[in-house]
Amino acid sequence: MARYRYPKIPESEVTPEPLYRARRKFLRQSAGLAVAAAAPGLLIKPAAAWQGGLDAVPESDLSTDESLTSLDDITSYNNFYELGTRKRDPSDWAHQLQTDPWTLSIEGEVNKPGKLDLDDVIRPDELEERIYRLRCVEAWSMVIPWVGFELRKLLERHEPTSRAKYVVFESIYDPDNLRGQRRDIIDWPYREGLRMDEAMHPLTLLAVGLYGKPMPNQNGAPIRLVVPWKYGFKSIKSIVRIRLQEEQPMSAWEEKSPEEYGFYANVNPHVDHPRWSQARERRIGESGRRETLMFNGYEDEVAHLYEGMDLEKYF
Amino acid sequence: MFNKKTAINAFRLLVLVACAGPALWLGWAWTQAELGANPAEAVVHFTGRFGLGLLLATIALGPAFRLTGWVGFMAARRQMGLWAFVWLCGHALAWMGLDQYWDWPWIWQDLWGLEYVRYGVAGLLLLVPLVLTSFRAAQQAMGKVAWQWLHRLVYVSATLGVAHFWILTRADYRDVTLFAIVLAALVAFRLGCVAVDRRW
Repeated sequence: MARYRYPKIPESEVTPEPLYRARRKFLRQSAGLAVAAAAPGLLIKPAAAWQGGLDAVPESDLSTDESLTSLDDITSYNNFYELGTRKRDPSDWAHQLQTDPWTLSIEGEVNKPGKLDLDDVIRPDELEERIYRLRCVEAWSMVIPWVGFELRKLLERHEPTSRAKYVVFESIYDPDNLRGQRRDIIDWPYREGLRMDEAMHPLTLLAVGLYGKPMPNQNGAPIRLVVPWKYGFKSIKSIVRIRLQEEQPMSAWEEKSPEEYGFYANVNPHVDHPRWSQARERRIGESGRRETLMFNGYEDEVAHLYEGMDLEKYF
Repeated sequence: MFNKKTAINAFRLLVLVACAGPALWLGWAWTQAELGANPAEAVVHFTGRFGLGLLLATIALGPAFRLTGWVGFMAARRQMGLWAFVWLCGHALAWMGLDQYWDWPWIWQDLWGLEYVRYGVAGLLLLVPLVLTSFRAAQQAMGKVAWQWLHRLVYVSATLGVAHFWILTRADYRDVTLFAIVLAALVAFRLGCVAVDRRW
């Protein structure tokens, strides 16, 4: 009788290493969940106080009274390439963004640098509702009721030095979880920048919610920038780092395609983008097109920041 | 029983369903508000991709016939090519009507201002003489050789279509790369045939 031989395992039957590791991780996380479920009071962090009060914040005089884009449209038509490049990807894959715990690091030319827990960044008494127009470089626009606070309040607390000329923002980098970051569509992490006077402008907002609720993941939870007179890509999402510096930074889109995306990226109907005429826009939820306004309609508030500058050159 | 004739007719019917069916779906999705926050954009994108895909599929029927010898592929070719034209016209109309709201000065401005629009329009216009000479009588009147040369314009049209798609892509080139690879493979196959047959 022939001696028994162990069957040779075909390569296709062997669990690939990433999957194997993912299983380990899954088991670890399940164990954690089981413990957490058994002792909810001990392990699950209660929602921070500020989250519950987002629907009761004061309204701002800087809000527009135009009719709001629906919550459904705001949360299902997004450019957030970390979660995929199609408009529906960010809402379909929103669960991949882990926002708790969240640390925001403030560094560079400040007297008081620090790594802050999100709850220490947000001061409930500074929160207000700001209804802003948002104009995407792709020639569509929305009207969004953000909840947030002025960026300058956070910056002032950390005391910028006299060498602080620019503010650099960096988004989360988590390719293990964020499917979009596994492909090098842009040079991750996403980076954006503002000149100091733009960052200190009262319109410039750090938003932590919309429609009175904490920020949906697909819109850049837990904290994002909103600069309403610039194209949407300047309003960086899911910020983990804010750095003040003397040199003008290079933003992620500018680095990828400098002839298409400038550092300033102010909404300007007179300067066309090679892919889209910027003279008009489609307001989401509306039929027809409307004229795009200079600085997205915030000309009175911000035009003085760019006095004497050639906006064709510094687009 | 399933004879040769039924197989060919079945394939032609399949092509009909595959080419017309998505239009029904698109119409249904439009009325049911299933196309998301920007339905006009969704229609423009879908008609463009599907039309360009059908154009490449039409070109691929030639190689499919050559490799398998099954005449069903050739029997469905005119139908599929006409469907590609219909979808690409739908794409142009959706752009003009749903995206630009028939605003002729703006359409005109985009036509001359945006490179990719010019490429797309040129690709579509090149298909018009092919459509006009697609029926049998035109083929006989022209003579086979002239007709074949004229219809090789389909490669130029498809190249313009892929270029149009390439230029307007913002950052993620995955989908358009797939179209470009298929086009390159079809061109390579055609040139390979020329080399093997020693004639155009």
